[in-house]
Amino acid sequence: MDQSFHITDHEANGIPVVSASGEIDVATAPPLRDRLQATTASGKSTVVVDLLGVTFLDSTALGVLVGALKRCREAGGDLPLVITEPRILKVFEITGLTGVFPIYGSVDDAVRSVA
Amino acid sequence: MSTVRGQSTVSVELSIPVQADLVVLARLTAATVAGRAGFGVEDIEDLRLAVEELCLSLVGTRRDGRLHLTYECEEDAITVDCWYEAGDHETRGRVGDAEDLSLRILDALVDEHGHDLAKGRPSAWLCKRRADPIG
Repeated sequence: MDQSFHITDHEANGIPVVSASGEIDVATAPPLRDRLQATTASGKSTVVVDLLGVTFLDSTALGVLVGALKRCREAGGDLPLVITEPRILKVFEITGLTGVFPIYGSVDDAVRSVA
Repeated sequence: MSTVRGQSTVSVELSIPVQADLVVLARLTAATVAGRAGFGVEDIEDLRLAVEELCLSLVGTRRDGRLHLTYECEEDAITVDCWYEAGDHETRGRVGDAEDLSLRILDALVDEHGHDLAKGRPSAWLCKRRADPIG
């Protein structure tokens, strides 16, 4: 239904960066979960998740990100997020997740924090 | 979907099969009803997410059955009632972290909400009042 949802990935300074755009909901969260699982399964314990292009995000998406964060931290890494859109930040704030995830305003800043 | 226009109340009914890619219809309808009633962008965005969470709180891991929603719009408030009609397979609703996140979102975004998860007809409702009331 949501044709605008896309996931891409690349590496920056050896850190995998997964970029999502569009609406992440119960229909589109599973591909994001699969991409993050594949990245961590390949031996990368830290993944930057770029949510700059995300326009909507629900609790299913939050659950996917929390699951990925747990996996990364268990492997000794982290899952920094890149968010600038106030609507998306608000979802993290009201659920108390701003205190759980490291959140940055740019991919460069997020990569620098973990490189 | 049906729409009944009274003097100051609009009622919209929506019935959708429980499929992940169709829950979007519930929030699109919420946005349409709220926009038509003159709610502000912030209120509409809050309502869109809240209705999504209302549906998810009932649907959980279920992938059959139907969701029935009624949107009642009065001057300064929109009420959404939602109930789940079970399908052929015995499945369960949301549990654990996901349910907790849904409830936190609903607490923050709407003025009132409630659930009745009794067997047979699990239902939930919410009420969102306009941030800037008319008059």
